[in-house]
Amino acid sequence: MSRLIAALLKAYRLVVSQLYLQTCRYYPSCSAYAIGSVETHGALRGVWLALRRLGRCHPWCAGGVDLVPTPENYRWWGRAAGTDGEDHDVSHETTPNHVPNVPACRGA
Amino acid sequence: MDTVLAPLYFLVSWIMIGWHWLFADLLGIGHDGLNWTLSIIGLVVVIRVLLIPLFVRQIKSQRKMQLLQPQLRELQKKYKGDRERLQQETMKLYKNTGTNPFASCLPILLQAPFFFALFRVLDGIANEHPRGAFESQVSLFESARGAEVFGALLSDSFLATDVIQTRIIAMVMVAGMVSSQFITQRQIMRKNMPKESLEGPFAQQQKILLYVLPLIFLFTGVYFPLGTVLYWLTSNIWTMGQQLFVIRRMPAPGSEAEKAQQRRQAEKARRKGLTVAEPEEAPKVEPGQQNGEVEQTRQQPKKTSRAARKKKRK
Repeated sequence: MSRLIAALLKAYRLVVSQLYLQTCRYYPSCSAYAIGSVETHGALRGVWLALRRLGRCHPWCAGGVDLVPTPENYRWWGRAAGTDGEDHDVSHETTPNHVPNVPACRGA
Repeated sequence: MDTVLAPLYFLVSWIMIGWHWLFADLLGIGHDGLNWTLSIIGLVVVIRVLLIPLFVRQIKSQRKMQLLQPQLRELQKKYKGDRERLQQETMKLYKNTGTNPFASCLPILLQAPFFFALFRVLDGIANEHPRGAFESQVSLFESARGAEVFGALLSDSFLATDVIQTRIIAMVMVAGMVSSQFITQRQIMRKNMPKESLEGPFAQQQKILLYVLPLIFLFTGVYFPLGTVLYWLTSNIWTMGQQLFVIRRMPAPGSEAEKAQQRRQAEKARRKGLTVAEPEEAPKVEPGQQNGEVEQTRQQPKKTSRAARKKKRK
């Protein structure tokens, strides 16, 4: 099931994403996120995560880095730890002490 | 499905009926085929005008992007050769400075239900199954059922008909969709991208796209009713116009379009009898640089599993 979904998403990326070039305000883009989440979390959780991401991604959100959470960090609601791409890079100049629970968007 | 979309059927059909009323009763155009054609175009106009605020937001954000250029170039130097990291850091920069040039896919997602609702409404007109406002407007339903342009019914589709005019018009519209998309794409590529990013994988993908897109449009053109195809064609043309406007007014630094803009400004200044300012030296652009029209210099992110990314970081 999750393989089927991932294959469909890849086909989508090949065709539709090309049509509109990059429009996503996040890294990775929503479709890449969906593929990653389905591959790491299976069909059910993966689709749930992807749908939440899609809901988060709109013109009023700040965007930024939003990675697929690891299975240990999975939460059914709220932002999971270690998804902002900061955990591996404390020395970096921007906001090293990131609070993990701050949503990237208002109302997320 | 029908119950979920019922409100949209009403919305779409009322907008169409509204435009039809404007053209038929207020302006007194006696050709019902023309009236309904114009009402579908009107529907696109209504939806796209409602989406303009989103578009303006995007443009404003892109203008602010110019100010971020030095920081972006620094990042490019720092993460040379690591595309993925560069993308991450770029996104972080956008977030921290509150300038995200991307619109997200919401504007596109918002349009999809309208497109589908229109498809269902037109399909209903073709199959004598009134949907939305047409349920109560029998005479308008009959008028829409008989609406034809150049001998082709608007609710008819290429596959469902053996009327040659319908087929010809469907194919003409497919050609229109393909060429408008092609022009949009070409304008972005030729005019609004720094020369360096025209090479490499991105350009390759663009070439593949040039073959895949006509197939999609061809499928749409034979399967969907003429009215729906018209909706998509109009929408495409609108996008093309918007894109041309942006390229003219807000070209990406280092692109052909920017030079053209500087030439125009110099010309204008000369005609007004002012001193001619030499066009500024175009800023140096690194390969794959993301700038003003970042969405155009898109690189397909390489798919890696989280495990692989972790490995790379170590």
